[in-house]
Amino acid sequence: MGHRRPESRSGRRAPAALRVLAFLLLVAGSLVALAPFAWMVATSFKQPQDVFTSTPHLLPTTEDGQWAGTLASYTEVFELGGFGGAFLNSVLVVAVLIPLKVLCAALAAYAFARIPFPGRDRLFAALLTTIMLPSVTLLVPKVYVTQWLGMADSLTGLIVPSLVSAFDIFLLRQFFLTHPKEVEEAAMMDGASRLRIFWSIALPMARPALAVVTITAFIFHWNDLLWPLVILSDQEKYTLPLALQALASGRVAQPHLVMAGAVVAVMPVILIFLIFQRRILDGIQFTGLK
Amino acid sequence: MELIRQAGARKGARSDAFVGWLFVTPAVLHTIVFMAVPAAGALFLSFTEWDMTSAPRWTGLRNYQEILFDRDLYPDFWVSVRVTLLYAVLAVPAALFTGFVQAYLIDAVRRGQGFFRLAFYLPVVTAEAAVAAIWRWLYDPQFGLINEALGLIGIDGPDWLGIPEMVVPALVLIAAWQSGTAMLIFLAGLKGISRNLYEAAEIDGANRRAQLFHLTLPLLRPTTFYLTVTGIIFALQMFGVVYVLFGRDIGGPESAGLTYVLQLYVSGFRDGEMGAASAMSFLLFIATLLITALQFRLSRRDAAS
Repeated sequence: MGHRRPESRSGRRAPAALRVLAFLLLVAGSLVALAPFAWMVATSFKQPQDVFTSTPHLLPTTEDGQWAGTLASYTEVFELGGFGGAFLNSVLVVAVLIPLKVLCAALAAYAFARIPFPGRDRLFAALLTTIMLPSVTLLVPKVYVTQWLGMADSLTGLIVPSLVSAFDIFLLRQFFLTHPKEVEEAAMMDGASRLRIFWSIALPMARPALAVVTITAFIFHWNDLLWPLVILSDQEKYTLPLALQALASGRVAQPHLVMAGAVVAVMPVILIFLIFQRRILDGIQFTGLK
Repeated sequence: MELIRQAGARKGARSDAFVGWLFVTPAVLHTIVFMAVPAAGALFLSFTEWDMTSAPRWTGLRNYQEILFDRDLYPDFWVSVRVTLLYAVLAVPAALFTGFVQAYLIDAVRRGQGFFRLAFYLPVVTAEAAVAAIWRWLYDPQFGLINEALGLIGIDGPDWLGIPEMVVPALVLIAAWQSGTAMLIFLAGLKGISRNLYEAAEIDGANRRAQLFHLTLPLLRPTTFYLTVTGIIFALQMFGVVYVLFGRDIGGPESAGLTYVLQLYVSGFRDGEMGAASAMSFLLFIATLLITALQFRLSRRDAAS
């Protein structure tokens, strides 16, 4: 990463005019980047008959410009579209999966970084090689293993096979390696066990890294479509991306409903993202992975 | 947990080996069950005929042979290869270009860096299903925002998702919209370039354009390389967006949007040919390895020259 520098590049003395031009270009660019979201939200508030107009309006208005915003699409999508159940399923899956996933990764990462045991480095190397396998390669047999374990078509089947990520272990291990040894040694002198040191010293110190792992895992699993698609068939167990997919591929085009569904699926991630943006963006910039 | 607690209670280096193993056991067991076994299974299954209900039947290399050469059994396999390669070849440079321009501009301004980073990264954290649902509506030939915007500048927009030739360009546009990852990593790269180099270049009389082409871009080559490799690996696995984008009409008009993984999904989970799907996933794995190796080779030659 090199050394940190002040945010603005005053050293390059970009002429003020160029900076203004860059700023204007960025404003235009970010408007383009955000336009699809604005269009999504606007459509979700429209009355069905105002969705299909010859000249699309951004705001929910009738053809002659009268305000006609409504929440009807949301109530319909929650009740008839099954998004209420899907929302709960999605919440349940991430609420159980993410803490366990972070704990598993942190335990292993701590041991790989801090506890000397025979075969450790070779085991770590073996674990790392699994990062190279594209997840799609394992898709079919992973489905089979999950079925064989009796977890097919259940939320357990969404959670258990995703509990460990070698990349998270790698990332957290890097972080634990940077901790000063002295603190732990002092604690050990005082008779603290490894578990106690892990829980009360190492984990709190690793909070920034744990936050990155937690949030990226949340974003990934909240959004995941492929695994739920191959493991679930019962609509009652659908998560939000699946429910949205089912709604979007319906026979009749109902953009106002689909966009309301998309808002429901997207908003929690956007909220989390807005709250933790610094941490996430810096984390991604640092690790080079999304 | 009780076991761990007991183990933790034993003090000192004596029990380190035990505790260490205990800490890694969940991760290792999970990796064996859900990675190692499936990896071996995928290879084995690719040599069998298997519908997931009866026992797999060994057929040797037949799956590979049929996938690669039997146009009657798998008429769309090579179509999906072509679609995926075309997509990767166009989408990766597009996202890299957009991402670089965004990063370069963000690095140049003083105000609003945080907001711009946020705005350009938002499309990346959006669920594939939602991305596809939104863009399907944006691309609507009659009521969509895209053709409306094109109409403003006097262009009669096409039916993006209805005309085979427009499908991949439509996908590439979505990829360019999702250039946030490239933007962030380029930004980190730009901030890592020492200011002194620019000062030296300025003293030598290099203008900003010369600085960009003879200093910034060459110094960012490792970043570009990294983004190219990961971008291509990612593009080869394109699935969610095309799956939702075309809905029931899987693969879109004339299979113009049938990506490799979509074809794999259809073979395995629609047609119930798990053996063939496994063979396809192994071919993808090998292709990924080959492309990555090739890229590393090219970059090394690049660095040597």
